[in-house]
Amino acid sequence: MALLDFQTSLARLVRASKGSDPLRPASLTTNERGYLSHLTEDPAFRFTVKVQRSWCAGRAAKAAYLTLSILPGEVRDQLLEEWVSSGGGTHSFVGRESAAFLEFIGSHLVEPSHELTICRMELAALRSSEGSLRFRRPDLSRIDRQACFIRRGRYAGLVHFYGEPERILNALLRREEYPTISSEITRLIFGPGFDRLYTRATSNELALYDRLASPAATITLSGEGFARETIQRLLNAGVIEYAG
Amino acid sequence: MSGSGARSTSAVPHLGIGLPYFASLPAELYQSGSIDFVEITPETICRQRPTGTAIELEIVPQQMEIARRACAGLPMVVHGVELSIGSAHGWNTAYLEMLDAFREAWPFIWHSEHLGFQTFLGTDGSTQEVGVPLPLPPTIESADLVARRSAMILQRYGVPFLLENPAYYLPDPPSDPEIGDDIGLMRRILQRSGSLQLLDLHNVYCNAVNHHFDPFEAVDRMPLNAVAEIHVAGGSWDDGFWMDAHDGRVPEPVWDLLEYTLPQCPFVGGIVFEMLDEHVPKLGVDAIQQELTRARKIWMGRGQGDSYGATRLSDFTRPVSTSL
Repeated sequence: MALLDFQTSLARLVRASKGSDPLRPASLTTNERGYLSHLTEDPAFRFTVKVQRSWCAGRAAKAAYLTLSILPGEVRDQLLEEWVSSGGGTHSFVGRESAAFLEFIGSHLVEPSHELTICRMELAALRSSEGSLRFRRPDLSRIDRQACFIRRGRYAGLVHFYGEPERILNALLRREEYPTISSEITRLIFGPGFDRLYTRATSNELALYDRLASPAATITLSGEGFARETIQRLLNAGVIEYAG
Repeated sequence: MSGSGARSTSAVPHLGIGLPYFASLPAELYQSGSIDFVEITPETICRQRPTGTAIELEIVPQQMEIARRACAGLPMVVHGVELSIGSAHGWNTAYLEMLDAFREAWPFIWHSEHLGFQTFLGTDGSTQEVGVPLPLPPTIESADLVARRSAMILQRYGVPFLLENPAYYLPDPPSDPEIGDDIGLMRRILQRSGSLQLLDLHNVYCNAVNHHFDPFEAVDRMPLNAVAEIHVAGGSWDDGFWMDAHDGRVPEPVWDLLEYTLPQCPFVGGIVFEMLDEHVPKLGVDAIQQELTRARKIWMGRGQGDSYGATRLSDFTRPVSTSL
């Protein structure tokens, strides 16, 4: 009996990955193949799959709690169903699940919408929070070195609110109707070095963050008119970081 | 490598009545005198950290500090969930590395894991998670794999290591005649590794209900001399199956099983009332206290002294080589 093949086949059957044949690659004995072939017709197997999907949906729901809580019930259920069907929700640790699931949810939401804003905010807060655990303020004197390159921070993010963030968040917390989408956009910038992980972005900070869609040398940025104070402040907050 | 270290560390103190640690419960409950020891699942105070292609488990210091404060002075045992000790492709070494750090910070009297597997090999060679633990087929290969790993764990930590009998819904998988069933599988693992059993009576009840057998007869066939800890828990019906849901009070048949089983387990160190964190608020502190009181009454009436069972446990266990 090859335990490895048996476990792989059984696990694939339970996870029921779309388009895969769980028994195809396995070198199983006749007994094992017979057991696994008939398993899917057994109510006990179907119940095991139901438990598996329920656990996965429960984990996924925790992984994107804020965003899911503001979506209509049928949309939430459909997203969870699709995520679990694609193999999501199996990770025991919420953090590992969150980023991928929030990306998935975001790809299904309308732009612009307050729902997408909340989704991006939850993702940005998650990343900054993770980054804050190991964040160390950088040596700012490196800015003056020749060939000092900087880039966007790995744990940073920028979130656009189509209206006043407090009003939108209060509506969310009180389960009130959202304000209409406004052309007045407020941008929150997230970084692991901020005390509350975010701040309202100034126009100078926003311009620098946009500019660093690809890495640039500090000397180049100075030549383009970016203030040293802005570079220092965003470096200190982990919104941007040294490249290399 | 011999298993002599395992034999010398098989002393299981009689602790009494235990409760899992839940951050959501008031710390006063743990200091109320109704709990003799606490059972910690280290993963609940950990986070995952990717390091290149691997994943590390690291303890969150603040969460450990809160847990230690809540459980101050209580003896502590560990009940892990992430080891996947029966996965043929490899077990979770990140869990063991985390447990090394955990033990340094907060030594445990014994520790336990579930007999089963929850990871498998993906088509790209990576470790995949099933999403739910699955039982092992009762075969010599399964038994020897888990026995080798259990013996290694005994060597590594130097304290008793317990395996919990799982609840399962799947019909009986193909087996080797020398092993027979899940009880035979547990027996062979314990005999060959020196590890002990965490006897989950709710799991026995669950399997008995769903697979239509007599739980008392099943208990009679178990290696009760090697039982070091007993779990009781609640469950509920779903879709015609009794679920190991840990969502409420202990059903009467499980209390009956405990009364029947406990006097036959001469070396058991304690009874733990298990719940899932999410069901704790619904159950409430008063109900938890009542379950603990009932467990204590049975514990006190078990008719045994407080002597340790090291000698006779080592008679039962016969560790094998830990080399893989």
